[in-house]
Amino acid sequence: MVPTFIGATLLAFLISQLVPGDFLTRKELEPGVRPETIQRMRSQFGLDKPMHVQYVRWMSNLVQGNLGQSFVSNQPVISRIARPMRNSMYLAVAAIILLWAVSIPAGVYSAVRQYSLGDQVVSIFAYFGLAIPNFFFAQVLILSLFLLRGFTRDTFGYNEMLLPVAGLTSSGFDNMSPWQQFRDMARHMILPAFVVATSGMAGFTRVLRGQMIEYLGSDFIRTARAKGVGQRSVTYKHALRPAIIPFVAGIGGLLPALVGGAGLVEVVMSYPGITPAFLDALNSQDIYVILGLLVITTLLLMIGNLISDLLLAAVDPRIRYG
Amino acid sequence: MTDSNDRTASAAPERGLDHLDAHYAGEATQRVSKSQGQIVWEQFRKHKAALVGGGVLIVMYLCALFAGFLAPYGINEYRRSPVAAFRPPTQVHWIDQETGRLTRPYIHDVREERDPVTRQRIYVEDTSVKYPIKFFVHRPSQPYKILGIWETDLKLFGVDDPGRIFLWGTNNLGKDVFSRVMFGGQVSLTIGILAVWVTLFLGLLMGGLAGFYGGFVDDLIMRLVEVIAAIPGLFLLIVLASLLRDPRNPIAQAIGLEMNSAQTFLMTVVVLGFVGWGGLARVIRGLILSARELDYAAAAKALGASETRVLWRHLLPSTASYVIVDLTLTIPGFILAETGLSFLGLGPSEVDTSSWGLLLRDATARGVSIQFVPWLLIPGIPIFLAVLCWNLLGDGLRDAFDPKKRR
Repeated sequence: MVPTFIGATLLAFLISQLVPGDFLTRKELEPGVRPETIQRMRSQFGLDKPMHVQYVRWMSNLVQGNLGQSFVSNQPVISRIARPMRNSMYLAVAAIILLWAVSIPAGVYSAVRQYSLGDQVVSIFAYFGLAIPNFFFAQVLILSLFLLRGFTRDTFGYNEMLLPVAGLTSSGFDNMSPWQQFRDMARHMILPAFVVATSGMAGFTRVLRGQMIEYLGSDFIRTARAKGVGQRSVTYKHALRPAIIPFVAGIGGLLPALVGGAGLVEVVMSYPGITPAFLDALNSQDIYVILGLLVITTLLLMIGNLISDLLLAAVDPRIRYG
Repeated sequence: MTDSNDRTASAAPERGLDHLDAHYAGEATQRVSKSQGQIVWEQFRKHKAALVGGGVLIVMYLCALFAGFLAPYGINEYRRSPVAAFRPPTQVHWIDQETGRLTRPYIHDVREERDPVTRQRIYVEDTSVKYPIKFFVHRPSQPYKILGIWETDLKLFGVDDPGRIFLWGTNNLGKDVFSRVMFGGQVSLTIGILAVWVTLFLGLLMGGLAGFYGGFVDDLIMRLVEVIAAIPGLFLLIVLASLLRDPRNPIAQAIGLEMNSAQTFLMTVVVLGFVGWGGLARVIRGLILSARELDYAAAAKALGASETRVLWRHLLPSTASYVIVDLTLTIPGFILAETGLSFLGLGPSEVDTSSWGLLLRDATARGVSIQFVPWLLIPGIPIFLAVLCWNLLGDGLRDAFDPKKRR
């Protein structure tokens, strides 16, 4: 794991060297900035050193938990990316809860009532969810909310949006009580979380259905039924438990995937998360912020995979490490 | 193994007729010796959803191929005066409003007005002049080439000047959305297929090298795969696409690229392929490693086949069905990725190309409220359709190749 991480930091660093010039080349063009200042900043950031020296410096700082300084705002990188990361995490957690709350019942239902009308509706929705681009779906939902407002305004004289469609907080957020703040953020998160969860739901439901069908047809289920175990218990205790194992394990991989995958939805809904921060940093060529975000999300991904493996061993008695 | 058993079983009753009628016997032997391709095609034909998906895809690719013919306007064509910004889809009249009879389709020109209350721009039909829709018109000002070879200026339909027909409305600059969607397909539909070839090339090469040479090469390549997989895909795509499209980046400088639109297009293809090859390489390597131990590889070697011949004639073909299905299911992912990148403005450049993602970007432009211009979301529908159909096609192929799912 450690070599992979070092390799990933090396790759990220090499990519960051693709940035044409650096932040200071742009600063040189600004009037009123003396060449000596540029020179001083350049040696302060170590940009005058050869590439491998820069990498070693950056890496040794990284190991000590220091991601460097942002060029643009002169703050430590960590304080610039902490807030977007936190916001994206909120969104990811909300999306996962939604994902589980919808897909488990849907998957179980369509496995138990295989080929029924409900099962077919679920499969059709699953195909839709897989094929619709996240950002387009977000745009369509925003449009429908506006149309809904137009409808309620004309028929009931109710001229309010059902859900907020942009950002994470309303104006006047700072003056709210903690409970109101929580409610406000939750309301803002419903729409993006739903969109992010959709594509996951589609895959999740389909796989769970397949797994359940396989287990429901197996010998131990027949034995259980023969012994007189009720339908409910057979479905939820005997079949669902083994069928859900890969998903329990997958939760570790889900978290970082959703943090990254929420990407375009965050852009469409002006959600102050990682992807907009990443695009900003790319626009202003803020190398260490770009690197910091790449490294932290990579770390999250790897930790997530590790958690998956551990969870898998914990819930599945057939898997034992060491 | 399963499929050969099935086939013998189904052919068995006919074999009883062998000595009775030579004609039937001939047919029976023929059926026994069906090739893998024939079986797969027969299975595939029974998969209704996959057939529909394939059919829709053929139509979509034909539309992209003949985009110049189907689109009444050029990709960046617009008029300065009057600017036709944010025009809603032109209403096509099939029934003559004066006589109330069915007539050849015609349209009216529209007049720009302001809503007295909201100050929103609205368009009112000017019913004084009729512009009948004409078919197979020549527009010498907008020549185009089909497949880059045949130059022509024939358009499927159009109206006489100064009337203009916008079937799906216009964007903020007054460009025709319908025409741009047609041209956009040329980018969005081909980029996935091209990127898959890059994936296939890199996956086969790297996986083949790793499995074939083993040892240090294997370690190096597999670590590289892990490293690429460790960085979140979306961010890797964004950062590569955004840095490489700048003509001042070191790689472009070294090879002497100026990043015009064709080069940006190719860059997007390469970036997509580069991010996606890891999984394929890993599988190819595993298949080659395990296939070496299999009896038929050992048999081939015992018959004197060289290592390379075993690899190319026996090992790689055995991975073909996996590779075909995997790649078919990779294409929709690439289409989604390309439209996503274009949506961020990081795909092929806007100068003389169009892409469905880029068109959806118009709907998020500054000062655009989507509830007043819902037609700007139309380009999302072909993305959805293309991805859906590729998925259906891939699922159908997977079932057709899978001997356990024979019907």
